[in-house]
Amino acid sequence: MTLAARRVRYVLKRLLQAVPVVLAIVVVNFFLLQLAEGDAVDVLAGEAGSATPEYMAQLREKFGLDQPLVVQLAVYVKNMLMLDLGYSFRHDMPVAQLVLDRLVPTLLLMVCTILVAVGLGIVLGLLAASGLNTWRDNLISVFALVSYATPLFWVGLMMIVVFSLNLGWFPTSGMENVAMFHEGWDRVKDIAHHLVMPVITLSLFYLALYTRLMRASMLEQAGMDYVTTARAKGLTERRIVFVHILRNALLPVLTMAGVQIGALIGGSVIVESVFAWPGLGMLAFEALFARDLNLLLGIFLLSALLVVAINLVIDLLYSFLDPRIEVG
Amino acid sequence: MLARIVTAATFLLSLASTPLLAQQAGGTLVLIAQPEPPTLASYLSTSGPIGLVAPKIYNGLLDYDLDLNPIGELARDHQISDDGLTVTFQLEEGVLWHDGEPFTSEDVRFTIMEVLKQFHPRGPSSFREVSSIDTPDPLTAVFNLERPAPYMIRALSAYESPMVPKHLLEGKDIREADLASNPVGTGPFRFVEWKKGQYIRLDRNEDYWKEGYPLLDRIVARVIPDASTRTAAMENGEVHYGAFGAIPNVDVVRLREDESIGVTTDGYAMINPMALLEFDTTRPPFDSEAVRQAVSLVVDRQFLIDNIWFGYGKPATSALSSNYEPLGLYVATDNYPATPNVEAAVALLDEAGLAADADGVRASAVLDLIPYGEEWRRAGEYMKQALGDVGIELELRYEDVPTWLKRVYTDYDFAINMNYFYQLPDPVIGVHRHYSSDQIRQGTPFVNASRYSNPELDELLVAGSITEDEQERAGIYERVQGILAEDLPVVNLFEMQFLTVYNEKLKDHTVTATGPYSSFDRAYLEE
Repeated sequence: MTLAARRVRYVLKRLLQAVPVVLAIVVVNFFLLQLAEGDAVDVLAGEAGSATPEYMAQLREKFGLDQPLVVQLAVYVKNMLMLDLGYSFRHDMPVAQLVLDRLVPTLLLMVCTILVAVGLGIVLGLLAASGLNTWRDNLISVFALVSYATPLFWVGLMMIVVFSLNLGWFPTSGMENVAMFHEGWDRVKDIAHHLVMPVITLSLFYLALYTRLMRASMLEQAGMDYVTTARAKGLTERRIVFVHILRNALLPVLTMAGVQIGALIGGSVIVESVFAWPGLGMLAFEALFARDLNLLLGIFLLSALLVVAINLVIDLLYSFLDPRIEVG
Repeated sequence: MLARIVTAATFLLSLASTPLLAQQAGGTLVLIAQPEPPTLASYLSTSGPIGLVAPKIYNGLLDYDLDLNPIGELARDHQISDDGLTVTFQLEEGVLWHDGEPFTSEDVRFTIMEVLKQFHPRGPSSFREVSSIDTPDPLTAVFNLERPAPYMIRALSAYESPMVPKHLLEGKDIREADLASNPVGTGPFRFVEWKKGQYIRLDRNEDYWKEGYPLLDRIVARVIPDASTRTAAMENGEVHYGAFGAIPNVDVVRLREDESIGVTTDGYAMINPMALLEFDTTRPPFDSEAVRQAVSLVVDRQFLIDNIWFGYGKPATSALSSNYEPLGLYVATDNYPATPNVEAAVALLDEAGLAADADGVRASAVLDLIPYGEEWRRAGEYMKQALGDVGIELELRYEDVPTWLKRVYTDYDFAINMNYFYQLPDPVIGVHRHYSSDQIRQGTPFVNASRYSNPELDELLVAGSITEDEQERAGIYERVQGILAEDLPVVNLFEMQFLTVYNEKLKDHTVTATGPYSSFDRAYLEE
């Protein structure tokens, strides 16, 4: 079987394996959420200012909350398998639409954060490792330590104070300027302008990890036999570092990135809150306090699918990077 | 000579027809809607954030000036019959819904009888006496009452009782109607779009029935979850208006020094928020009147106001807010000292038979705190210290909203609950629900969870709701406050003062008693 065919078969096998995994995640989450006291009707009644017991009973019936748990779960799983994510009674919108509306801002934030964090992390790690124990290395290591240790919300708020309030270079929050309603290319530039600070804040934390990891990984590889061989063969330092060591050193970084991308939806709640960025993290956070179970389960499902997909992609990438790693 | 008169007359005429230069048309107002409203159905929910946006889209029959006197909105005039059983409204001419249909008295009848009386949280009690509404012509609506309802005339603002379009709701399930997410009203601003999690956009209604208004081009309600970011956005001029404590008090103290930013406590007289402690009167130690009185005497109300709310608030002096003074219904009573009287409290506790044990502890209980912000946690910490000094040991409990609501109002699993209630424009609407026996409704939030039941008080409350004569009503409520000052199932702490923080460029935003919940048709942005 050719390599390509093997890969395709591997992907299909993994996708099939994903189905019971995702199902199990949804079931576990469903029961976990039941542990929280109070339900969506309590929240709606509290917000409305008051409600009669009859009205609340009616609402519970409409939401299906008066059914036994197993029935509720069965209904949800059945709908899920037909790709119907349900209805958010609180927002008065289908869950799929709510999630889709927030998907683009979330992806924007996530993709840019990953690119900056991983990209810059690799570069900095490389610089640090190649100038081992010089001032360059020490500077980068201290920077990594500080950005890892500093709380995200503080960094975000400080950036707002310095760059928005004092210098006026960036807007404080939001995804676009709501008073202007730009169109077309202007809108793209406006969103990019708003994207800068959230991305820098979120990526600073992850950047530190990748820098340290890359640095350690490079140093580990530099001590291996094949490097000595390459040097003996007379290859240039540049070629050794960029063609040979780099490819091997990237593997741990890739693993880490794969694991963290999955966590990025939840981890971005703080940044989304501080910068009023309309992402899925904030949606899930608010849905929890509103006991909007349909919405929460929808977001968990999406998150689970994302993690499964990312893991698959990373595993495939391995086989590209390192031919010794076989798939299938 | 004639030429001079003509010139003078022409000059004067031209002056009269030029709009006042002070009021400038145009501009986009950005206000904060925190938290994000769940829907825009103000006819189904009195949720605060809905009230910040919906009254710009919908109108009410009346509005109220800063002295709480009714002024006309959709009803340009009204008369109450001598016996109080008939209220007639004459409606404005030429009012159109945002979809172009004309507004008539049929819409009024439909709104009150089919929508508010059936589905609104307060509608069934505000309009309880309305048995029918006649519509002799499209511009007249006549309310027929079973008994007089002096409080009803105060419940007709755009926030409390918005007029909704019969032609879009008739025959539909009111609770499911699309109107909740795509509102159509008669107000100065039309709904344009709602990007969930980001903003709600309202554009100027070009066909608004009030000539020359509104002045603003657009209103955008922005959603910003983090309090510090809201403050930064206000400082930066990205946001022009934040009400109901959108900017935390601690930042207000700093912002009010800034010349470009103004702060006001006006505009909340129809809300009357009261911070209070609710007791479970069915279980020890708070089943004893003396113990509850002792708690009221020990709390340092002024300390709470000065240190946790940064000076914004007024100590409570009665079961009713002093904002009812213009109505003549408020009277100051005993047992609500602004500063503590510890000896009297200790004496009361001794009298109640709560002796201190070896560690000085007389009783212990859990204090539940309303989970609406950090100030309440601080207030809880203060209560723990204050009551600890007289031997009542408190454990603090701070949960999220649904858990808290279920625990207190459904499970009745609480001893003391720190909370705040809106007393609203009339005690019948906002206060009776806390003390009346028929308001002991398990499972319903924000009613009589203390399970306090006093037949004498119940009779007085009923009398207070059907008495038209102002003097007589004042007498009734004086007795009500006297009884409640002794029984104290709920200890009022202080009258809260919500703050509106605004950019000084924004003018005429708080010109009526409804403040943030008003239509903003006269508001404008100065350049």
